[in-house]
Amino acid sequence: MSWDINFRGNRVTALLLILLAGTVAFLGARQFMTMWKPDVVIPAPGFEKHMLSEWFEGIKDTPADTPVFIQSGEASGGTVLLMGGTHPNEPSSALTAVLFLERAQVKTGRLIVIPFANAMAFTHNSPQEASPQRISFPLPDGSSREFRYGSRATNPIYQWPAPDVYIHPQSGQELAGSEKSNLNRAHPGTPDGALTQRLAYALRQLIIQEKIDLAFDLHEASPEYPVVNAAVAHERSMELTAMVAMELEDMGIPMRIEPSPKNLRGLTHREWGDYTETLPVLMETGNPSQGRLRGRTNEDLVITGRDKSYAKASKLGLLFIPYEEDQPLDYRIGRHTQAVLTFLEMLGFMDENKEVVVEGVPGMEELTEKGFGAYLSPLGS
Amino acid sequence: MIMTLIYRAIVVFVLLLVVRCMFREKEFWKQATGALVLIPLILRALMIK
Repeated sequence: MSWDINFRGNRVTALLLILLAGTVAFLGARQFMTMWKPDVVIPAPGFEKHMLSEWFEGIKDTPADTPVFIQSGEASGGTVLLMGGTHPNEPSSALTAVLFLERAQVKTGRLIVIPFANAMAFTHNSPQEASPQRISFPLPDGSSREFRYGSRATNPIYQWPAPDVYIHPQSGQELAGSEKSNLNRAHPGTPDGALTQRLAYALRQLIIQEKIDLAFDLHEASPEYPVVNAAVAHERSMELTAMVAMELEDMGIPMRIEPSPKNLRGLTHREWGDYTETLPVLMETGNPSQGRLRGRTNEDLVITGRDKSYAKASKLGLLFIPYEEDQPLDYRIGRHTQAVLTFLEMLGFMDENKEVVVEGVPGMEELTEKGFGAYLSPLGS
Repeated sequence: MIMTLIYRAIVVFVLLLVVRCMFREKEFWKQATGALVLIPLILRALMIK
């Protein structure tokens, strides 16, 4: 087919094309702006809603501010922070936090849930990744709930420009400039830095002021990445994590234990441990929709994790997770949920004064059998 | 903040240059190429994407 059709251009064609470009930009803008609207969550009875800026004014009235939900049990005990949504393209992270938020009944101690830690990264997709904008879950009553599938990094409309080199303020560690927008390279944060760094500082203030005993930062990683189906623990968290890993092993849920590297800075498992009194734990599940080997990237891949390239890679022994045709999101949420529940149990076992008892949250078996959507509250309830 | 304003001013300047080129261009397909360039510039100038 030949493309040598020589239309003559003139002022009228220029004007028509500019109008066309404006229309496409308008339609595109409407699509992009739908991601600015926060996801709806329906907290379980007993949760109080706060904003993170209550612990650090420096993020007040900025897009970095994010909801913090707190529920206290009748009996006193420890305090646990469950943080999801550091990287919104790792959906089992935020959704596990949402599950606790919508189901938890705290009997002893306090549970603090931050479902959307980097709210600024939920408002866009990463360029060139072809990710879906949102994923949905059917509920037993026939309705459905939607959640955004965002980006790893803070939206550049909120934080710009990225430097050529990002220098981690506390350590002097040099990273690619784009990492300045990565919340999990910003810890322990600075009170006067860019928004992502201030957000990390606000999280540190929350941990210190609320005297949080155990803090989770939930993640997902590519199945070909070695640190997956794993818990990364600071030296002080290691004993507890080892106990949990043994318990999970007994349940048929293998959990790799990774010591937090002392020379990899800016991550929760290192900085929360060094700069606060909490026991930090970062956990990873395997998410084919963010891996480099994946094919078509759509909602189905996010929900099922089914991908023929990953199936082939698994047969070749190239993956770090057991992968038999799929890796459903229900299973990944189930892994995180069961691990958090086991950590809570073991925390009380190690020190009864720090006990946190949470009921009403389904375990791995129930989640894989009935699905995540079965445990979400219908909108309007 | 000032950096962002300067950046947006540069984006608007480039956008206007493209529009100017489109009106002066005599080949339709080059005008169409200009129209494609306009879309991300509009979205960026408005800080939408």
